This record gives sequence, structure tokens and C-alpha cells, in this order.
Amino acid sequence: MKSTKEEFLEVLSNYQGILHKVSLVYFKNKSDREDNFQEIIYQLWKSYPKLQKKESIGSWIYAVSINTSISRIKKASRLKYREITPELPDKSNIADEIAMNESLGSLLNAIYNLDEINKSIMLLYLEEKSYDEIAEIIGISKSNVGVRINRAKEFLKQNLKYLNHGK
Amino acid sequence: MENNELQKIWKNVDAEINQKSKYELSLLLTSKAKQTINKFVVIISISILASLGLLIYLAITSLNRQEDWIYLINNLTLGVITFISLFSGLLSWYKLQNNKYNQPLRNWLEVRINMLSKWLTGRFSRVYIYLIPFLYILTVLSIHVYFENKLFIEVLKTEESIFGLIIATPIGLFVSYFTVKRIRSYQLHNLEFLKDLYSRLSNME
Repeated sequence: MKSTKEEFLEVLSNYQGILHKVSLVYFKNKSDREDNFQEIIYQLWKSYPKLQKKESIGSWIYAVSINTSISRIKKASRLKYREITPELPDKSNIADEIAMNESLGSLLNAIYNLDEINKSIMLLYLEEKSYDEIAEIIGISKSNVGVRINRAKEFLKQNLKYLNHGK
Repeated sequence: MENNELQKIWKNVDAEINQKSKYELSLLLTSKAKQTINKFVVIISISILASLGLLIYLAITSLNRQEDWIYLINNLTLGVITFISLFSGLLSWYKLQNNKYNQPLRNWLEVRINMLSKWLTGRFSRVYIYLIPFLYILTVLSIHVYFENKLFIEVLKTEESIFGLIIATPIGLFVSYFTVKRIRSYQLHNLEFLKDLYSRLSNME
């Protein structure tokens, strides 16, 4: 029989992509991403014994990852008080350490111009989560999720146009 | 651009991720747990040792000055406040460290905001304004009176002692208030950030 730690590591190993992606949308810098990745693992481990619905592991991992990342942004004082406004996006490139395909790099740069809430909502949308799941993870209504996704999509598309046009 | 075009682009991210082995994940978990435990042990040890040191000092000096009632009251007050401060400080820190992350973002923000608001803007949030000068003066007097080898009331009548207190107190208070103010403004900044996020989540509900 597997110990709790082995069982946890098994889950973590299967779902680690979520941790990487959440860290990627919240932190541009590689070392910040790694620190955040490690902190999420620790927070997941702390709350693992209380995880009751094993079928909703994905939602649990997203919730802990997003909450931990927002908590770390706050600690690092990288505060962004931005709403979705048609301001010009930042053209600086996503972290040099990642040899990334061009359109993905542009998409990430556009995501960096979203505020913290919309970043998490868009990440869940891009991960093809249903509106119900997004509403559950973020704690808002399904209709609110729809409105926010539509706005954020428009914002990202405009940003991508601008970023691609400038090349 | 098609509606699901963004999702198609995003799919490429999987190829960019360096998956870690179970062994690496285990190492990361172990080292983070050790770091956290060490931090906890260091903070607890320093707080307890400093408070214990002060309490022992207060006990010894009080035993040596049993005839000086004012000095005994001074030390007893200082001891009680130190004990309560140590207990409530450690309890608050423990609560903050054990904040549950496994809940929807909105609920998590609500819990965190309530906790920080209680500490930073609640009923007892301004106690430090009165507590710092009070503790400072009691500590200075406790040390000074003891090493002067005089009764408390006699020391207070000495011109040099009063002069020393007048010079040293503003400097000590300035340093203490400055430090506390910096910590508070950092925490208030965090609180504003969380409130802002929360209000943005609630705006459209």
C-alpha cells in the first residue's frame, strides 16, 4: 500500500503541468517561477489530507496554485492595479530562458497585460475548462465568467494584433 | 482570428514545460518543508528566548529589590505585558501561516482580508501606539533603577536620570515607531491589494 507522500507525489507528478502553467502566467522571471512552483507544492501538500473529492483533484490544484501565486505576487510587491483597458501592451519579450514558439510568446506577453483575476480566468479558459469549473475555482457566477472571458479574449486579440504588427 | 484560436496557440505550452521526476518533486517538497520549519523554529526560538530572557531578568531583579514596591510593580507590569504580547504575537503568526489555500479564490480573498483587517484596522489595531512608549519607559526604568542601586522614587528625583530619560526616550521611540510603521504600511498595502482584487471579483455579481 502506498504511503500518503507517495500517493501525493503520484498526483503531483500527473498534474504538475498545472503548477508550471499557473507560475508561467503569473511570473515572467524564471527564479520567481521556480520559487512559486515550490511554494505551490508545499501548499498542496499541506491541504492534501483534507482533499475529500478525489475526482475534483484538477480543480483543487488550480485553486491552490492560483491562490498561492496571488499571495506571492503580493509578497513580492509586484502589484498591478489594472483593469481591462485598451492600453498599449508591453512589447518586452517573455523570459529569455524559454525557447518558445513565436505565437505562444506573443500570447503570453498579451496575458501579462491582464490583471491578476483575468489572468487566472483566461488561463482556465485556455486550458479548456468549462464555465462551471471556472466559476467553482474562482468563486464567481457562471454568467460573470462568460462576460469576463469575452472581454479578456477581445483584449488579448487586440494585444496580439498590436504585438504582431510591431514586428 | 477564430474564437478558439487562442486555445490552439496555448496548446503549444505543453511542449515548453520541463516535467520534473517524482524524485525532483519530492526533493522540492522536502526542502520547502525544511525551510518553512526552520523559519518557524528560528522565529519561535528568538521570540521565546528574548521574552524568557526578559522574564528571567525581571524575576532576578525583582527578587533583589523586594523592598522597593514601585520597582516591583514596574517589573510585574512589564512581565505581564511581555507574556501577553508573546502569546498573541505567536498565535497571530500561526494563524497567518495556516491560511487555507484550498478554496475558491473569492472565498480565500475574503478570509485573508478579514484576518488582515482585524489586525490592521480592528478594535485593537492601534494599541501599539500606547504600548510602545509604555513598554519602552518601563524597560528603561527597570534597567536603570536596578543598576543605579537606589530606590525607584530616588532615581526619579535625580536630575541626571530625568535628563537621560528625556534625551534617550525620543530616540528610542522614533526607532520603534519607524520600524512598526514600516511593517504596518507594508501590510496595509497588501490589504489594499487584496481588497482591490476582491472588489473586482464582486463588482459584476
